[in-house]
Amino acid sequence: MSIAFKPAETFRGDYSYRNSDAAILRFPFPFPEDRYMYSVNIEPHTRSGPSDVYLHAFDVDEHYIAECRDKAITLERDPSRCQALPHMMMAQWDTLELLMESLSADYPELFSLTKEGDDFGSRWTWVNRPLGIEQSFVFGDAETLPCEPFEYITRQAQGDFAICDQRDDNLYMDAGMVTSQADWSLAFDVGMSFMEWHGPVPLAHQAGVFERALKYLLMLRLGQPVRRLNWTMSINPRLDTSPESYPEWGPDRASVTPANAGHKVHLRVELQTLWRLPRSNAILFPIRCYLASLDDLARVPKWGKRLHRVLATLPPQLVEYKGLTRYLPAALEWLARHDDGAELPAGTEAGVSALAPR
Amino acid sequence: MMHSDIKSRPAYQALEPDLAGSRHLLVIEGEALPPGRLAALSNTFAPVADSLHTWLTGAPAAEGIAGKLWQLGGVEDVLDTLACATRGYGMGDRLYVLGTEPFLWSVATAAALIGFGPGQLQLEHAGSLRRRVWCTHCHGLTENVTTGIVACGGCGRHLLVRDHFSRRLGAFMGVMVDAEAPGEIPAIEEVFA
Repeated sequence: MSIAFKPAETFRGDYSYRNSDAAILRFPFPFPEDRYMYSVNIEPHTRSGPSDVYLHAFDVDEHYIAECRDKAITLERDPSRCQALPHMMMAQWDTLELLMESLSADYPELFSLTKEGDDFGSRWTWVNRPLGIEQSFVFGDAETLPCEPFEYITRQAQGDFAICDQRDDNLYMDAGMVTSQADWSLAFDVGMSFMEWHGPVPLAHQAGVFERALKYLLMLRLGQPVRRLNWTMSINPRLDTSPESYPEWGPDRASVTPANAGHKVHLRVELQTLWRLPRSNAILFPIRCYLASLDDLARVPKWGKRLHRVLATLPPQLVEYKGLTRYLPAALEWLARHDDGAELPAGTEAGVSALAPR
Repeated sequence: MMHSDIKSRPAYQALEPDLAGSRHLLVIEGEALPPGRLAALSNTFAPVADSLHTWLTGAPAAEGIAGKLWQLGGVEDVLDTLACATRGYGMGDRLYVLGTEPFLWSVATAAALIGFGPGQLQLEHAGSLRRRVWCTHCHGLTENVTTGIVACGGCGRHLLVRDHFSRRLGAFMGVMVDAEAPGEIPAIEEVFA
């Protein structure tokens, strides 16, 4: 398997990000039914599922190089996007080990890890071919890396990462690398408990979703990761939709018309996985973001129709919370042209193996 | 405005001595004290008066308070005194704090640093509902906010003051109110008197 990277594409400025046909077909479309409501949709993160994005522990796709560069730009502008409270150093090393071992096992042509031993004090050599990195270091000795281990490895991975410390029957977000978030602030939330950082989410608290999810996660076992999808929408293929940079991207929400919605409005899907870490007993929470425009999605007839129905029936509190209020009518008008009202089979599969030409 | 559907918004309760504790520290923001509250507190804490210290900030000398009284200038003195107390506090200690929200969380955060666990701490709100607001854009803090929209003291943007609250910062989140339509700022009204 080889991935045709697109190193020059951008997630800001001229927004040259595009999905290949293959990337559209493997998009983790999140809606199995015509209506959406919150649920505790957590399932085992087995190496299988209705999309190829589930085949590996940490998915690497054609956007890898460009996404790592965009992350570096965001960190340069705002170093507070990467934080780890002082007691999280063991969890930092756990994260580095999990990512290096998983990536080198799943993508041996892209990454390699050579270890003299498994324990702290062993010399390790990490090679990242797409980014042109070769690094020898002593596992457990942060002085032998160019930055702290959590920052080091998550700069070389797509998506965001939070680490939750487990104590007092609760989870605390005590570390994070957050550069492609759907409008939440790590600098504000760092140190918060599970209920606190989910505080602003409407409807789900009342439905008991977070109590059940927390109970489940406190029991998460080593070697048995779990996953769920979450979603929102973004204008332009922009990774950095943080509250910090909201003054930059907020005006884009007022730029959508029924004529331009197809290429401006993007469905933003997060593949969230949760991993028990072996030494720290913390939980690693990677949040991997996938972006597809309405144009992309409508090339899969089932997805274009279903998205129209989901958005048309979304509860008003969710429309507001997800920030869709200003442009939802234009997006619906665009999508309505791609929905003939035909009954759709349940499930998220694309239902086609090739796309019609653009 | 003390209740919110947003779960990060803390709820507060009236202070009561925890008889399981062996030593008791009551920290009071003098400016926030309603008339008569100090005398009522003295009664409430009478059962533990022998092992009670009271730190009172910024108020004139209080007569008849239970336990041993220490008068401090302001919240900074409380934080300094706690920060210097790296020895001497243990599992038997109980900390009770009364004051405005920024005061409560400044003291709670300093106490957590020297080892006070959640079970050793009680917080009671008193005084103004004014808020400390943290700007999501410049990360600056604006103190004593009484309006639902406020100009950030750091970057000048007009911030909508949300109910989302950080205990670590003792502050509410402020988000630019006219980011999507620059210049469209709703009427500014006093809501946290």
